[in-house]
Amino acid sequence: MESLVYGALVTISVLLSIQAAHILYLMIYTWDQDVGELTKAPEELIEPRLSFTAIVPARHEEEVIATTLERMVHCNYPTTLLQVIVVCSVDDTGTIDRVAEKIDDLRREGLYNAELVVFDDLPINKPHGLNCALQRAQGEVVTIFDAEDEMHPEILRVINTVMSTEGVNIVQAGVQLMNYGSNWYSTFNVLEYFFWFKSRLHHHAKHNSIPLGGNTCFFSRELLARVGGWDETNLTEDAEIGLRMSSLGEHVRVMYDDRYVTKEETPPSLGQFIKQRTRWNQGFMQTLRKGTWRQMPTFHQRFLACYTLAFPYAQALLGLYTPVALLLIFVLHTPVPVALVSFIPVLLLIAHFLTAAVGLREFTDAHGMVPSRTTVVKMAFMWIPYQLVLAYAAVRALRRQLSGQGNWEKTKHVGAHRTTLENEEVRSGA
Amino acid sequence: MAPNWSTPLGRSGRQALAFSLVSGAITHAYHVFQYPLYVTDEGIYVQQAWSVVREGMLSPYTYFYDHAPGGWLLMAAWANILPGQFEAFGNAINTIRVLMVIAHVISVGLLFGITRRFSGSVSGAFLACFLFNFSPLAVYYQRQVLLDNLMVLWLLLSIYLLSRADNRLVTAMGSGFAFGVALVTKENALFFVPALAYLSYKMASGERNRRFQLQFWWFAAAIPVSVYILFAELKNELLPSGFDFNVSNPPANHVSLLYSIWWQISRSGPQGRNLFVQLMEGSWLSRDPYILIAGCIAVVLVLLLWSQDRENRLGYLVAGMMAMGYGFYMVRGSILLDFYVVPMIPVLAMNIGLLYAAVMKKAPERAKIALTAAIVVLALIIPGGYFVARGTQGNLQAHDLYHLEVTALQEQQIAWVRKNVPPNSRLIIDDDMWTALHDVKPYYPRAHSHFKAASDPAVRDKLFRRNWQNIDYVIMSNKMRAAMERNNGNGAENYMLDAIDQHGQRVWDLNRGGIHLAVYKIEK
Repeated sequence: MESLVYGALVTISVLLSIQAAHILYLMIYTWDQDVGELTKAPEELIEPRLSFTAIVPARHEEEVIATTLERMVHCNYPTTLLQVIVVCSVDDTGTIDRVAEKIDDLRREGLYNAELVVFDDLPINKPHGLNCALQRAQGEVVTIFDAEDEMHPEILRVINTVMSTEGVNIVQAGVQLMNYGSNWYSTFNVLEYFFWFKSRLHHHAKHNSIPLGGNTCFFSRELLARVGGWDETNLTEDAEIGLRMSSLGEHVRVMYDDRYVTKEETPPSLGQFIKQRTRWNQGFMQTLRKGTWRQMPTFHQRFLACYTLAFPYAQALLGLYTPVALLLIFVLHTPVPVALVSFIPVLLLIAHFLTAAVGLREFTDAHGMVPSRTTVVKMAFMWIPYQLVLAYAAVRALRRQLSGQGNWEKTKHVGAHRTTLENEEVRSGA
Repeated sequence: MAPNWSTPLGRSGRQALAFSLVSGAITHAYHVFQYPLYVTDEGIYVQQAWSVVREGMLSPYTYFYDHAPGGWLLMAAWANILPGQFEAFGNAINTIRVLMVIAHVISVGLLFGITRRFSGSVSGAFLACFLFNFSPLAVYYQRQVLLDNLMVLWLLLSIYLLSRADNRLVTAMGSGFAFGVALVTKENALFFVPALAYLSYKMASGERNRRFQLQFWWFAAAIPVSVYILFAELKNELLPSGFDFNVSNPPANHVSLLYSIWWQISRSGPQGRNLFVQLMEGSWLSRDPYILIAGCIAVVLVLLLWSQDRENRLGYLVAGMMAMGYGFYMVRGSILLDFYVVPMIPVLAMNIGLLYAAVMKKAPERAKIALTAAIVVLALIIPGGYFVARGTQGNLQAHDLYHLEVTALQEQQIAWVRKNVPPNSRLIIDDDMWTALHDVKPYYPRAHSHFKAASDPAVRDKLFRRNWQNIDYVIMSNKMRAAMERNNGNGAENYMLDAIDQHGQRVWDLNRGGIHLAVYKIEK
């Protein structure tokens, strides 16, 4: 019996080590491979040529939607080539009123390219809203911005240049959480985005097996229409459509340029954070089960998709294994070789932490911030609790998935990534 | 920005590299089973590798952290994959000597790559490898089963990876890890830390991923070391019992990694400096004065050259720092053994190669080839050089390295023991024959080295009980008597010396030149 336990311990340690090493590699991919220059935005921007439709799905976003709309219609792109659609469910009267009020303000300024789309059918979720808005979209390129997004004013000119000169149908530009110092988990959450968009997505794009992000993603409208838009039954419609596009052989151009990222905020409370993470995990589980990824032509593509989508299961298992491992520390006196093997995942955990610490410096440098000296110390203390929260969210997703709960748990946005002054300016302008 | 050293090797470069690899294989593999004599330290490392494979332990005796086990773990892995394992090449030491030859050939390739990248010169790299391959000092020690030879391999691999200058994180990780393995193969790699750390820093400087490069280099280097420390902690052998670091009174309860490190550090004194001079005169200069003298001069000039062109000669500084770092270790007055010179050999060769490259930089290609060929030919044909030696009658002959058959004498001694000594006898031996007596039938399970019979409580107090009457035979290797006397500071060898001097009857001996082997039967 004892040897069975040791065997299991060694097997789990080895599997965890492989998994952690692979994740680490994906985190540092862009710094390891010389892809930096290839994925940057072009320095020379051409004249606006393509027309855009920017869809902003919103639900209970009264606090931030006006600022977002204001910023979008005032971006540096001709209004004749830009259509902005805010899409809401009919029951969300607060957001509808705020958007209508803002659209009136804009019209008084002579800006007529913003409109509101309201839907009254089910399901009430983001992909359904996107599909409703897609029917009204007129631009050659369709993009999505979330209600709290702070898009860069030049991003459409950048994408116009990339899509026109490179002939690609899909571009995923960078999205970045900014408020790394808001609370104990926000630093890690910010860094997850940083590593995901700046590094890992490049690996996925290279192998043409890419779960797209939820916003700042640009599609040819014709392509979107051809694939039937977004999957309304999926909680991560962004990842699903990305893998669906990959299976159709569509190449995705990933562009992460620190200058042009769309800025977002971390969920304002731990509960909101867990809900968001649960939704992502559940969405990945759904996409895995749906199996579109199986249609990808190469084994490597299928492996990468399956590996990514199955990750929440691995994280859930890790969450369940953690208390067992802690118990074993106290009750099991393992032979030295077994203990040494089980130390390898710990080493990799340390490597992950160090990478996060260095990543923080990279992130703050890129965005002209100066991290406080205590940030890394706080990170050191909060690293394990954060991992446990992620594991809990994965277990929660698994439980919801098994019990058939598939409703959309919305993430609240308060605009923590925006400066107070900026919000006030927008409100006074409104 | 880090220098760009990644220039193509070219046809002449490939030829020079091929010649270096082949000549390195020949000088080291030819006659490796016959010369030099199997020595005590070879026997210790091989018996510990044997213990890994046969017993799943780091040593057949109490492992007291005298050295980190990286070296003999690799030896064990090598023996384990061979058909016949330790006896694959005749005997255990021969089998591991083959690993040393392989390690040397790989080291040659790495040294060539490093020197060429540091200097931009094929002829400089070729000359460095020629010295590394042919120096009698190098061949003599590099054939032996020594942890230092494996440490050099990992060290050179670490530098080579950094010198690739490809700005990849996996390269930085690989380099750091290789250096970490060097540290747990032989701890004296520690003295290369300043040079390696500086090189890793400079290679990352100005690069977009510099922070990650440095992080991963250091982290990867720390992995093998931390595993070693964890190993000690898991066995409750990290700290000495009672936190007692008194070197004159070792804690009796259990061995300790930190205590052993402290003990090693404390083993320094003026005797060490005298020892350095003695070894320099007696063991090193007599084998190859050229590489030592020219190497020392080269280090000074290489550092001078660096100071004149710091921008483009980073490798010169690194090579100089390596020599200075390890040189400090050798002259600082610590306990020194003759083979501790091993890591210095490639470093001096590298410095000479770099100096040669700088001197010949503006020379025409043909002149470089002609002069390099002339140096090689002269080194090989001049009597007292690298290949031709004068015999006792003044006749010219190949160097001892390539014709003397000395290990056969040791084989004869073991054959005599097998034929005449009962396997259950209690034997005092030297470590060089330990594996032969424990791995080949008939086994001699009660054959133990005089070092263990003097210091390991399990052997000294339980088997021999510090009493000459419990010894049946003493199998004397060459210079074992002197080693016993040197190790007798606390009288721990007295009962064995008594057995030989007062009660021993010489039943077999063999004397050839300076080699004296004997077997004593202890009469009771």
